[in-house]
Amino acid sequence: MKKTLNINIGNSIVHIEEDAYEMLTIYLNEVKHHFSKNADDFEIVTDIENRIAEMFGEILTIQQKQAINIEDVKSVTAQMGSVKDFETSEESEGAEDPLAHIPPYDGVKKLYRDTDQAMVAGVCVGLGHYLNIEARWIRLAALISMFIGGSGVLAYLIMWIVIPKAESKSEKMTMRGEEPNLRGFANSHLNPLMKQSRGFIAEFFEFLGSFIQGAGKTLFKMIAVVIIIFGSLFLLFLIVAVAGLFGIWDSNVYSYFPVSMVNEDYLSSIVIAVFIVFAVPLLALVLFSVRVAFNGRAINKTLSFGLLIIWLGGVVVSIFYIAKITTEFKESAELAQVTPLVAHKTILLTVDKTRFFSKEDSINYKIESYNKNGRRILNHSGPFDEPRNVSLRIEESENGKSELVRNYRAQGKTFEAALKQAQNIRYEFVQKDSLLNFSSRLQLTKKASWRNQEVDLMLKVPVGTHLKISRDLAWFLNGYNYWDCNYDGTAEFTEWIMTHTGLKCLNERKDSDNE
Amino acid sequence: MIAENTQTQMRKGILEYCVLLIISRGEIYASDIIAELKSAKLLVVEGTLYPLLTRLKNNGLLSYNWVESTSGPPRKYYLLTAEGKAILSQLDHTWQELAYAIDTSKTNLTNS
Repeated sequence: MKKTLNINIGNSIVHIEEDAYEMLTIYLNEVKHHFSKNADDFEIVTDIENRIAEMFGEILTIQQKQAINIEDVKSVTAQMGSVKDFETSEESEGAEDPLAHIPPYDGVKKLYRDTDQAMVAGVCVGLGHYLNIEARWIRLAALISMFIGGSGVLAYLIMWIVIPKAESKSEKMTMRGEEPNLRGFANSHLNPLMKQSRGFIAEFFEFLGSFIQGAGKTLFKMIAVVIIIFGSLFLLFLIVAVAGLFGIWDSNVYSYFPVSMVNEDYLSSIVIAVFIVFAVPLLALVLFSVRVAFNGRAINKTLSFGLLIIWLGGVVVSIFYIAKITTEFKESAELAQVTPLVAHKTILLTVDKTRFFSKEDSINYKIESYNKNGRRILNHSGPFDEPRNVSLRIEESENGKSELVRNYRAQGKTFEAALKQAQNIRYEFVQKDSLLNFSSRLQLTKKASWRNQEVDLMLKVPVGTHLKISRDLAWFLNGYNYWDCNYDGTAEFTEWIMTHTGLKCLNERKDSDNE
Repeated sequence: MIAENTQTQMRKGILEYCVLLIISRGEIYASDIIAELKSAKLLVVEGTLYPLLTRLKNNGLLSYNWVESTSGPPRKYYLLTAEGKAILSQLDHTWQELAYAIDTSKTNLTNS
């Protein structure tokens, strides 16, 4: 079985086997080049082609077959004669008929694009051949002109379109200023018979394709390098963070919000598990990028399987603990504590700013000695904001007495656990004459984890009590729009009065007058 | 080598004359010319004929007609032009001279 081709030779379609086609192409190219010295080369070659076509036709009808094979081509070319035969019979023809020959080679170069040595489309190399300058200088000039207003790009594109590509051997030789002769054609017999110029557009897209392939590779490598750098940094950050979570630098870390959710008993396990869940894919990504960037083989199978198993282990452990912690929010419990207050005509409500805690504060206010090991502060200084856990309502007192009700709320796995969590909450406030100073945060006994502990404060005052509410307290105030009473937000205190219908702002009228 | 060279040159000159002679008998197809030349043992390969015919045609000695062929593409049938006929008669004359020259040369050689 052989592959056949359809060729159009001498205006007739001939089926020809592939090897026979190659042989015929070589033969016809030789003939073409031989007669290219002759002024009538086209006519002669056409005659020869026509004759070959005729002979093929005869062979096909006489031998009753479908396709020309290599033997047929051999016999036809033998009958037609080789280029050598032509040479011997024509030796003296030049002398007889000088007009039939092209004028002797005058050494004129022609401008072609040299696609063999091209960087892009061979314009610079071609110019180099033409001007007898090394291509690198022209390329350099082109590169520089590219930065000077980009005119070089346009010029290059125009030249790409205008200057033909040196396709045949003779064109390539003319481009270099060599005399095109038969010796030069020796290696060129595989050139296609007909010029297969695909035109500028096709060439451009072919170039674009190869460029994207090359540039894409470079781009991938650059991305890979970026991933390696950032991935490594992030990995390092993770390690540092884990070290931080194990309390290497700051033992207060457990009181920061997202971590405080986790029971201390299994904190280390969950930290390691979560670390694995994030670090292993990151490590794999970095290793893969190393492989892309340096064409190296950074991961072997054992290692990658090992990493996969470790990662799955991390995922399982993380899910287990997350599920476990989630169940600890199932039930909620509430605990109320009522404290009577000394009644005053005017009560000043403030927030204890000094208890926005720091280590120094705890020493200054002797919290340490007062509840060392027993208490810790749920504060807002962690990297994430804790959900607001203190809220204040102010209502009319039914019995005419002032009192503060503290409702402690927490969640847990069972009601008992939730209640226990609620009992662990401590919330401080101080009454000093008419001043009521609230703490801004909860305190939890140590070992207590974040279980959505909240305290609802309810201040009950008799009707007619004046209240001066500090601006800072506004954040905790529930049920009243503090800012309605403090339009511009500059006043340190706003004045309210307790009525039967609730609190009423006293600043309101004055402020509306101002407006 | 020298013999070969002379042979080629002799053949070349005669080839042209013979081609004109064959065509002078009437319109003829290139491959038929080849067949005749082959039987006259003057031509080895076909390829050499085409440049010759083209040159003769371009010099105005020959012209051709396209004739439809039953098998394959139309064929070029060559015929002599008036100029070609004139040149052929010149060549006839020259050939007679040459034949005489050779004959004489040969006879003289044998005589002496």
